[in-house]
Amino acid sequence: MKTFIVAIASVFVVCVMASSAPDAVRGKEAFEKRCGGCHGLDRTKEGPMLRKIFGRRSGSAAGFPYSDAVKNSRLIWDEQTLDKWLEDPEKLIPNNDMATRVPDATDRANIIAYLKSLNV
Amino acid sequence: MSKFIIHDHSNDGIDRRGFLNCMAWAGTGVLWTISGGVPSSRLFGQKPSGTSKADMTFVQISDSHIGFNKPANPDVTGTLQVAIDRINALDAQPDLILHTGDLTHSAKSAEFDTLAQSLLSSKQKQIFYVPGEHDISVDDGKAYLERFGKGTQGKGWYSFDQKSVHFIGLVNSAVLEGMGKLGDDQLTWLRNDLKKLSKSTPIVVFAHIPLWAVYPEWGWATSDSVQALTYLKPFGSVTVLNGHIHQVMQKVEGNVAFHSAMSTAFPQPAPGKAPSPGPMKVPTEQLKSVLGFTSVHSISGKHSLAVVDTSLGA
Repeated sequence: MKTFIVAIASVFVVCVMASSAPDAVRGKEAFEKRCGGCHGLDRTKEGPMLRKIFGRRSGSAAGFPYSDAVKNSRLIWDEQTLDKWLEDPEKLIPNNDMATRVPDATDRANIIAYLKSLNV
Repeated sequence: MSKFIIHDHSNDGIDRRGFLNCMAWAGTGVLWTISGGVPSSRLFGQKPSGTSKADMTFVQISDSHIGFNKPANPDVTGTLQVAIDRINALDAQPDLILHTGDLTHSAKSAEFDTLAQSLLSSKQKQIFYVPGEHDISVDDGKAYLERFGKGTQGKGWYSFDQKSVHFIGLVNSAVLEGMGKLGDDQLTWLRNDLKKLSKSTPIVVFAHIPLWAVYPEWGWATSDSVQALTYLKPFGSVTVLNGHIHQVMQKVEGNVAFHSAMSTAFPQPAPGKAPSPGPMKVPTEQLKSVLGFTSVHSISGKHSLAVVDTSLGA
């Protein structure tokens, strides 16, 4: 009986882990809905192009007119900084120009996984 | 009301300085009509010859971006109010007002509240909306639909009739694959919506992102608009209005006339004339001259729609 309960618990843990793992495919869908109005991957739009943003210094995409706030922020974009940025851009870099935010943590994780997948 | 006529030496309704100003910022400076399916155009300020009194007039406002507070316009609520005041002061009050999206800059509750509060001062209370990506990208349109999308389909599309004109509000800002997209569900709805209409019914389509390829490099187009236009092709008079690009542009293609409105908040650069789209700072004294609204007049019998852009400049 004890073995059975442990087995059930293990299956539950695996399921929870699987459902919460960042999903780059869902991230692409979320990116298009939440970010695609202003950002392209290889083209400057209202926001800077985002292919290979991972490891990039903030405010460094060529040809984009960043706010002084972002230019001077000197962050390196990784999982943590991108998560904070997407959750509340104004809190991370006050007086920046980004209009939107991504309140849902799963959405953020998926979008970040998608952006990371584009670094290869 | 417009600042485009300063010296009218040739009595043609426009002066050189005004013309250049108009062309520089509005891109067109043209008022156009469609009579019996034949489009014609004339410059701002020229008086139409032999026009009948309009059966119906409506006004389009767009891209109010309530919540935006950067140097391109630190007082977007103020300029929206100027637009409302100008509409309230029109000789002929419009039968309705369309807002073609980006009501807010960040889809915050307070921003939607401010927009709604501002529009309470409009004499015309019949106001119809479609969302822009700034209104719906944060929460899939939940807040927008609760306030402005009651009774609509899907992400907020719908149609209605006013006098002899059939209005269709489309949503092409909910799914963005580099540019606007309508999607199969909405296209199916559109095809069915049009089936019940006589081909002589004047149709006004309004959406946020252009339904024509203004500048796909900046996402100023809709990927599946060709399908929608195929459904509209049999109709004799189709007018397609949009916002999003914050400047006047127009195109006539067969029986379909496309027209893009100014913003009430801030201008954007002309296509390809800047490294990227986005809020464009102009000298403070010029700001109101690049903001404005669009008036549309429908004359029954002629299936004629006349579109006039009015800047907020004094």
